[in-house]
Amino acid sequence: MMQWIAFLFFASMTLLSALGVVLLSNIIYVILSLLSTLVMVAGIFFVAGAELVGALQLLIYAVAIAVFYVLVLTAVPWEKALKKDSHYRVEGVLTFPILLAFYLEIILVFLLGVSVSPKGQIREFIQNLGSTQVVGSILFSKYFFAFELVSLVLLVGMIGAVLIGRKEDKTYEDSTS
Amino acid sequence: MENLFVQLLVIGIKILVILGVVFGLGAYLTWVERKVAAHIQRRPGPMVVGWHGLLQPLADGLKLITKEDIFPRAGNRFLYNLALVLALVPAVLTFAVVPFGPEFEVFGVKVKPILTDLNVGLLLVFALGSMAVYAIALAGWASNSKYALIGSMRKAGIIVSYEAVITFAVMGPVILAGTLSTYEIVQQQINHKLWYIWLQPIAFVVYMFAMLAETGRVPFDIQEAEAELVTGFTVEYGGIKFGIFPLVEWYVEVLSLSAIAVVLFLGGWSPINIPFLGFVDPLFFLGPLSPFVWFVLKVALLFLFVLWLHWTLPRYRIDQITETAWKVMLPLTFVNLMLTAILAPIVWR
Repeated sequence: MMQWIAFLFFASMTLLSALGVVLLSNIIYVILSLLSTLVMVAGIFFVAGAELVGALQLLIYAVAIAVFYVLVLTAVPWEKALKKDSHYRVEGVLTFPILLAFYLEIILVFLLGVSVSPKGQIREFIQNLGSTQVVGSILFSKYFFAFELVSLVLLVGMIGAVLIGRKEDKTYEDSTS
Repeated sequence: MENLFVQLLVIGIKILVILGVVFGLGAYLTWVERKVAAHIQRRPGPMVVGWHGLLQPLADGLKLITKEDIFPRAGNRFLYNLALVLALVPAVLTFAVVPFGPEFEVFGVKVKPILTDLNVGLLLVFALGSMAVYAIALAGWASNSKYALIGSMRKAGIIVSYEAVITFAVMGPVILAGTLSTYEIVQQQINHKLWYIWLQPIAFVVYMFAMLAETGRVPFDIQEAEAELVTGFTVEYGGIKFGIFPLVEWYVEVLSLSAIAVVLFLGGWSPINIPFLGFVDPLFFLGPLSPFVWFVLKVALLFLFVLWLHWTLPRYRIDQITETAWKVMLPLTFVNLMLTAILAPIVWR
C-alpha cells in the first residue's frame, strides 16, 4: 500500500516535470524540471528496491550530467534566456510518430522479456544477493565483453575530449592576420 | 499494528533528534568558531552577551531575523528563494545515513541510531553532497549581480572537480570493508580490529583536502574571497537568508563530512585502536554511553582541525585549486586504489 502511494507520487511527479521540460518558456526552469524528472526517476528506482541503480541515477544523471547544463545556462543573461519562439516546431511534430514507434518497441520488448522468463529466476537471483553484488557479478561474468567494450569507447571519448580541448600551438587568428 | 506504531514513533524521534542536533549545534558552532578564531589571534572574542558570549548565537539569530528582507532589482524571486531550499535540504538529508553509535535496546525495542541503513548509503552521501552545486549556481544566477555570479561559478568549478576526487578517495575504505552501507563499514572495522586510516593514510589526506574544498573552508574559500568578490554568491542575500548559506556550508556540511570521515577512516564509534590487536577504551566507566561519546569526540576533533586551518592559512588562487584537484589529488587516489588492491587480502584474511 505504502509502496503504491510512493510509486504513484514519484510517477506523477516524473510526468509533470517531464511536461515542464517541454512546455516551460524560461530555459532555467526547463533545466530545473529536467533535474526534477531525473531525481523523481531515482525515487521510482528506490521504491522498486533497486537502491544501487537509484543512487547511481542520482550521482551520475542528476548531478554529474545535469550540472553542466546548469553551468552553461547560468552564464546566459536572464533576458536572453526566454525561449520565445522555437525554431524546431516542424521537426518536433515530425518526430512524434517516430517516438511513438520507439515506445511501442519498448513495450513489445518488455512483454517478450517477461514471456521468456515467466518463473522469475532473475528476481530470485536478485533476492539471493545484495543489489550491488548482483550488478557487479553480472557485469563481470555474463556481460564482461560488452562492459570492456563500453569502457574502451569511453576511453576513446576521453582522448577525443582532451584532443579537442587542448591549447593550439597556432590559432586560426594567427594564420589569418 | 502496534509494531508499526512503535516503528513510526522511533523514526519520528530519530528525525527530531537529527534536526535538533543539526540546527542547534549548527547555530552554536558559530560561537565555537568565533571563540577559537579569537584565541588563535590572541583576543577574547565575544564576551558581552551572556557568560563568555554564550548567548551570542541567539542575539545574532534575532538580529538576522528582524532585518529587512531586501531583494535585488531584476533578479528572479522564485529561483532566489529556491536556491535556499536547495542548499539546506540535501545538506541536512545527508545525516540520514550517518550512524551515531551501535544498536541498543530501549523498552525492548531494538534501535539503530541511524535514520536509514541503506545498502548504498555512501553513494547517497556523495550524490546529496554534490546537489549543493545547484543551490550555488542558482543563487549566483538569480541574484543578477556580477560578484554573485563569479563567486558561484568558482565554487561550482571547485565542487565539480573535488566531487570526482572525493568519490575515488573513499573507494579505498569501501574495498577494505566490502560494503557501501555506512553502518556496516564501521562494523567491519570493529571486526577487523583496524581503523582504516592505518592502511589508507593517502586517502584520508585527499579526503580532508576535498572536504575543505567542498565546504569552502580556507585554504579553498575562493568563492567568498571578501577582498575581491565582497562575499561571493551570497552578496545579494539579506537578513536570515544571508545567514543560512554560511550555516549550511561552514557548519552543517563540515559536520556531515567530518562524520563520514570518522565513519570511513576513524572507526566510527569504536574506541582507540591498536592495529590488528584490539581496542583500548579509557572511557569504559561511561558504560553503554561510551561509543556515542567516542563518536562525538572524533567529529569534534576533526571540526576543530578544520577551524585551526581556517584561521591560520592564506588562500589559494582558483586555478591552483582546480589544478591540484585534477593533477595531484586524482592521480594520488588512483595510486591509493592500487595499494589497496595489494593490501586488501591482509585485512580480509
